Amino acid sequence: MAVASLPHQHAEHAEGGVDRFYEETRDLRLTGFLFFLFSDVVLFSAFIFAYLYLRNSGQSWPPPGIARLDVAFAAWNSVVLFGSGATMHYALENWKHGNFNKYAGLLIATIVLGIAFLGGQAYEYTHLYFVDKISWAGSGIFGASFFTLTGMHGFHVAVGVVYLTVLLLQSIHGVYTKDKYFGLTAGTLYWHFVDIIWVVLFSIFYLI
Amino acid sequence: MAVAATHVGGGIADHVHPEPQGFIRRYVFSIDHKIIGIQYLITGFIFLVLAGLLAEVIRTQLMNANGGFVSNNTYNEVYSVHGSAMVWLVVIPLMTGAFGNFVMPLQLGARDVAFPWLNMISFWMFPVAGLMLFSSFLMGAPVAGWTEYPPMSLQGEAGTSMWCAAIFLVGISSTLTGMNFMVTILKMRAPGMTLTRMPLFVWAQLATAPLSMVATTALAGALAALFMERQFGVPFFDPTKGGSPLLWQHMFWFYSHPAVYIMILPAFGMISEILPTFARKPIFGYKMIAFSSVTIALAGFMVWAHHMFTSGLAPFMQLPFMLLTFVIAVPTGVKIFSWITTLWGGKIHFTSAMLFAIGFVVLFALGGITGIFLASVPTDLHLHGTYFVVAHFHYVLVGGSLMGIFAGFYYWFPKMSGRMMNETLGKWHFWLFVAGFNGTFLPMHWLGFEGMPRRVAVYDPQFQFWNRVESVSSYVMTFAILLFFVNILVSLRRGKKAGPNPWKARTLEWQIPSPPHYYNFKHVPTVYGLPYDFSEPLPYRGLEDELTDAPAPVPAGAH
Repeated sequence: MAVASLPHQHAEHAEGGVDRFYEETRDLRLTGFLFFLFSDVVLFSAFIFAYLYLRNSGQSWPPPGIARLDVAFAAWNSVVLFGSGATMHYALENWKHGNFNKYAGLLIATIVLGIAFLGGQAYEYTHLYFVDKISWAGSGIFGASFFTLTGMHGFHVAVGVVYLTVLLLQSIHGVYTKDKYFGLTAGTLYWHFVDIIWVVLFSIFYLI
Repeated sequence: MAVAATHVGGGIADHVHPEPQGFIRRYVFSIDHKIIGIQYLITGFIFLVLAGLLAEVIRTQLMNANGGFVSNNTYNEVYSVHGSAMVWLVVIPLMTGAFGNFVMPLQLGARDVAFPWLNMISFWMFPVAGLMLFSSFLMGAPVAGWTEYPPMSLQGEAGTSMWCAAIFLVGISSTLTGMNFMVTILKMRAPGMTLTRMPLFVWAQLATAPLSMVATTALAGALAALFMERQFGVPFFDPTKGGSPLLWQHMFWFYSHPAVYIMILPAFGMISEILPTFARKPIFGYKMIAFSSVTIALAGFMVWAHHMFTSGLAPFMQLPFMLLTFVIAVPTGVKIFSWITTLWGGKIHFTSAMLFAIGFVVLFALGGITGIFLASVPTDLHLHGTYFVVAHFHYVLVGGSLMGIFAGFYYWFPKMSGRMMNETLGKWHFWLFVAGFNGTFLPMHWLGFEGMPRRVAVYDPQFQFWNRVESVSSYVMTFAILLFFVNILVSLRRGKKAGPNPWKARTLEWQIPSPPHYYNFKHVPTVYGLPYDFSEPLPYRGLEDELTDAPAPVPAGAH
């Protein structure tokens, strides 16, 4: 709406160096964003419950005729994703300390690692499909639960890669300052959330 | 108590934009919580009429034991869409979207919800989802009831997939509203309004919002799985491919049991506002009512399998679900007794709003008691899938939720419109509605005990007499609702001017003009205590200019 696109002069609110409007809206947004992540956790939980329920309703796992997953490959791919969590963490820390170049380098590294993880997942999917003949709809509850859950996670990683790229461009264009960088905080939280979900998915699909 | 934080300038409370002037920005794509609340109200009432007409199709079919009004398949479609629409398009949006949006920020002393834009987006998903649901009639509507159990829902026509998509969309809307309300209530209260000074309607919304947020997201997972299975053949629920129909029941009821509390907790809040106002007495047991809402919300997540006692659940699983369900009756009983004690010795004014509130307490208690019958495993084995269940949930959803909506509407209509409802028509509405309601649903109790199954288009002729009583009574109920809509239209044009506080109520929304200004308060008030002490002065400061012509001061940072 035109009203909301009027130029905002939040600096006018400043009292004693503190922009209370910014502080309060950041508080609201942070709380709202955490609730959003929490409800996303619930969405994953619904499918994780479905997977564990179906898995325990059968006699053996993997079901007869389904090849075992390649744990070693997935483990290396997980290292790539967890590594991107570390680079993201240090990217934000460097932003807070004003080291823009280090921040940009680490954020680009995060994006590259995220793309590498997706590449690994694409390789794994093609291998499962063409070599092991396992598909989403044609391999019973194994295909349904594995591809739905890892696919949902992969979709979240892909959204995250786009999100972080937007944040990188925004920070280059000066949207964020040393004191006002809520978007970067939210991006970091989102990326860590994607990491944590992967810890759970890796455990329940590859380790147990 | 000591004076809490006083207002400090420069924050959100001082950040105001001018009111938009164009019709579209003001009334269509509005970001004002009051307009959005009224939009929810109108849309919800339209869906109430549509789903109510479907109910009359059901009752007309059941006039005769061998049916004949519609085909058996159409009958299945009609009751499936009737139930889905009443739950997701009428009661939930009216409870949270309409009354939550309009009243809750006013009672908090806030200028709007935390995320006004998100609020607008939530609203606009709702009519779209409603049109999607009703459009399923064009492609073969769902026939497996509002619960859509597989394998039947896997065999339904294309409309069942449309049903999944529609409920998914309205679910996202409800989730976003839940998040928005959580942040609003936790972060945007007026200075001095601690959690234990909040009006009970706000407490009810605070207990409801996490249910909308968590349970609805779980339902979204179940709906997505059903959609994937139907459209792409991904096996989750089909037992011939290794899936489990019971999995759907678990996923569905993990949402849908908390959802019954989404549909009733806000009504508890409304009743807790209306009873003290018209009994001119402080609410009895403020803290117990507030905390029992939260207890009900939490315990509501641990009882879902009581819907599945006849589905083949292991006996060692049935017992804890039965006991936990009994436990929920305790906080609910705490509320009922608190309300009765509030009325006790009060100076009761029988306005239409008060009549509906008292009717709510009686009818909801009856529905709650039959809930205990159904929660007990041995009785449920006999009653499951009979008209006793239909009687039970209509007592809590019509006698409870819908009566609550009527009570809330009569109570807050003067604040929304600036005019009073017609009391004579309101009383006709109440008495005809209660008579019709009991005539429709009371006989279902014994029909169910005698074994009349629900969701069947024809029935044994021995049940015909009571079914005819029910059908005729349902027409009386429909006529009462017609009177209600006539009353709204007449009162909007000719109703007496209400003034700011026609009920002499004490919560914040009644201390400002009706309808309130764009940003609700000229100055954000400071709160010093509970709103229910009728003998004391009002516990607010900073409201002196609200009812005068004094212009709203332009805050330092306004633009």
